[in-house]
Amino acid sequence: MKFAVVVFPGSNCDHDAHYAAEHVLGQKAEYIWHKETSLKGADVVILPGGFAHGDYLRTGAIARFSPIMAEVQKFAASRGPVLGICNGFQVLLEAGLLPGAMLRNQSVKFQCEHVLIKVEETDTPFTTACVPGQVLRIPIAHGEGNYYAEPDVVARLERNHQVVFRYTNANGIATAEANPNGSVANIAGLCNEHRNVVGLMPHPERACEMALGSADGLILFESAVKAVSEGAFTAAAR
Amino acid sequence: MRARVFVTLKPSVFDPQGKTVTDALHTLGYSAVKDVRQGKYFELEIEAQRPEEARRLAAEAADKLLSNPVIESYRIEIADEVTA
Repeated sequence: MKFAVVVFPGSNCDHDAHYAAEHVLGQKAEYIWHKETSLKGADVVILPGGFAHGDYLRTGAIARFSPIMAEVQKFAASRGPVLGICNGFQVLLEAGLLPGAMLRNQSVKFQCEHVLIKVEETDTPFTTACVPGQVLRIPIAHGEGNYYAEPDVVARLERNHQVVFRYTNANGIATAEANPNGSVANIAGLCNEHRNVVGLMPHPERACEMALGSADGLILFESAVKAVSEGAFTAAAR
Repeated sequence: MRARVFVTLKPSVFDPQGKTVTDALHTLGYSAVKDVRQGKYFELEIEAQRPEEARRLAAEAADKLLSNPVIESYRIEIADEVTA
């Protein structure tokens, strides 16, 4: 199976995602420049972290107009698995593929540290290999990861079980201390209603080998391989 | 014609930067400043015959790109209207 890693001008975790898919997991992976108009038959699309277009205007605000995003929209609409990591998550929010928006971190600082996140839902293509309630140790690196949505939207996300990852302590309890950026309801990641589009602020691709301090992030990529090979999440038409 | 677009966070949305600026002003002794909301300001040079036309265009730009309706609202001034 094949991963597509979209590269925007300013993406800087594209190589990490490509490496995780190709070298750690032994799958095919291909970079797709943002001006291209084909995902080249990929089974999974990753929007990587970084600072697309310098984060000008708002994070992800310009990237969503890149030509490749029309293809990503189509791929998502046909139920293909899409993962937005950090800046990629911000792009998904601006593109309307996921609800809500990002605010500056409550600390007003760029935060770069390992955090703990709990896997709340295992029926997405990026968590299907996880155990419900599993706590992962994965790094964050962002200045604008303070997730916000109107209270009725948050209520809907909770009702539909769309909160996929939550910042918690080691026991899986969502406390204020475990929340690194002020995100509403400790939300670290979520999915769309069809569950094929997932976005999260932490960087699983930076935690795929013990040499990096943690290999907990690999399970997201393993999940994608499992989901696609089992045919659970595949784009309807390519 | 010049359109000025002021984009600010909605009142219901917490503004971490505004809070930090408020705190800094208090450190400087400006205790009379009770709150600061930080926003963005755009000047658009628009080819338009009438102010309403420029306003409509600026509003479209603000809706589609300059603001994120999830967290922000905006206000538009047309320069000619201000000076007239």
